[in-house]
Amino acid sequence: MDRNHLKRQVDLMKRSLFDQGYLDEQFIQLEELQDDDNPNFVEEIVTLFFNDSARLLQNIEQALVSVPIDFARLDNYMHQFKGSSSSIGAKRVKNECTRFKEYCTAGNAEGCFRTFVQVKQEHAILRTKLETYFQAYISFMCVFVLVIFALTYICLLFCLYLFSWQDKLDHLGLQEVKLDDYMDEGGSLIIDLYYKYDKAHMIE
Amino acid sequence: MGAAVDHVIPIGMSRGSVEGNDKSQGQRFSSKSKLTALVVDNGGVCCAIQTALLRSYGVGTEAVETGGAAVELISSGATFSLIIIEMLLPFMNGPETAKQIRAIGAQSKVLGITAFFDERDQQEFLAARADDFIEKPLSLEIVIPIIRELNN
Repeated sequence: MDRNHLKRQVDLMKRSLFDQGYLDEQFIQLEELQDDDNPNFVEEIVTLFFNDSARLLQNIEQALVSVPIDFARLDNYMHQFKGSSSSIGAKRVKNECTRFKEYCTAGNAEGCFRTFVQVKQEHAILRTKLETYFQAYISFMCVFVLVIFALTYICLLFCLYLFSWQDKLDHLGLQEVKLDDYMDEGGSLIIDLYYKYDKAHMIE
Repeated sequence: MGAAVDHVIPIGMSRGSVEGNDKSQGQRFSSKSKLTALVVDNGGVCCAIQTALLRSYGVGTEAVETGGAAVELISSGATFSLIIIEMLLPFMNGPETAKQIRAIGAQSKVLGITAFFDERDQQEFLAARADDFIEKPLSLEIVIPIIRELNN
């Protein structure tokens, strides 16, 4: 069934994100904060993260090409970037941030440049993977909701059909009373009755 | 208890009741708890997550972006069971904020929080009479014992 296939895909995607070290248990904590009051919490937080972090990465990039390099400013930007990365469970990104910080503290510009390339790379990879994951998740949820609607609709139709049967049965009851009056006229009337019923049914 | 002043609440957070969203595992402490918290952090993501986490355990949580706003809030009479202060804040840093909050008489549990753990920062916070200092992220392992402690 399509829905099960989609669900398996979503689960596999998520498992691989954890197995390959892109995400850690902090992401699971985010998922646990998602409920009926905050139904899109994870996606909203992740979107906020990527918007925020894009800005921070731009700031870091600019600070790295300024002469002389302001390492305190760099440290500040990276501090914020690492804080939010670790808060959403972006494990690989967080690790690259830690490496960057070491070079930054040491005033090592070249080290900062090199690690920053890694930071941006991990950030971009995570963004792509999470976008794909959320797309699959949304597809699964859409199919799930459609299936629920379809089942509800079918149940409704079935109930309506049952009610119409009830009407027909009542109608049949009246005709049965009439049959009793004609019982002595033989079985041909039974056939007549069914014929009348069937005709009525076909008209409907 | 709680703030009269409205502040920026991050996307997706339900303002809801002061008690916030009760999670089944948090129900032991949350439903009767009248705990309140203040998150002082200028990072939108961290603010949103910390607020949501605390609210899910029934802690009525407010968030501000600067130390100055925190001090103003508390000066105006708001009281909080827990105050979480980020190390690097614009204008007035975390330890200075903690110092001022203590100076105006706040008895709250003050938790310093940072992206990169540094012993000097830890010393600075503790000298400002913060109760503890941790590295982000704010996780359940940290939040649950604090809530238990505050409830008792």
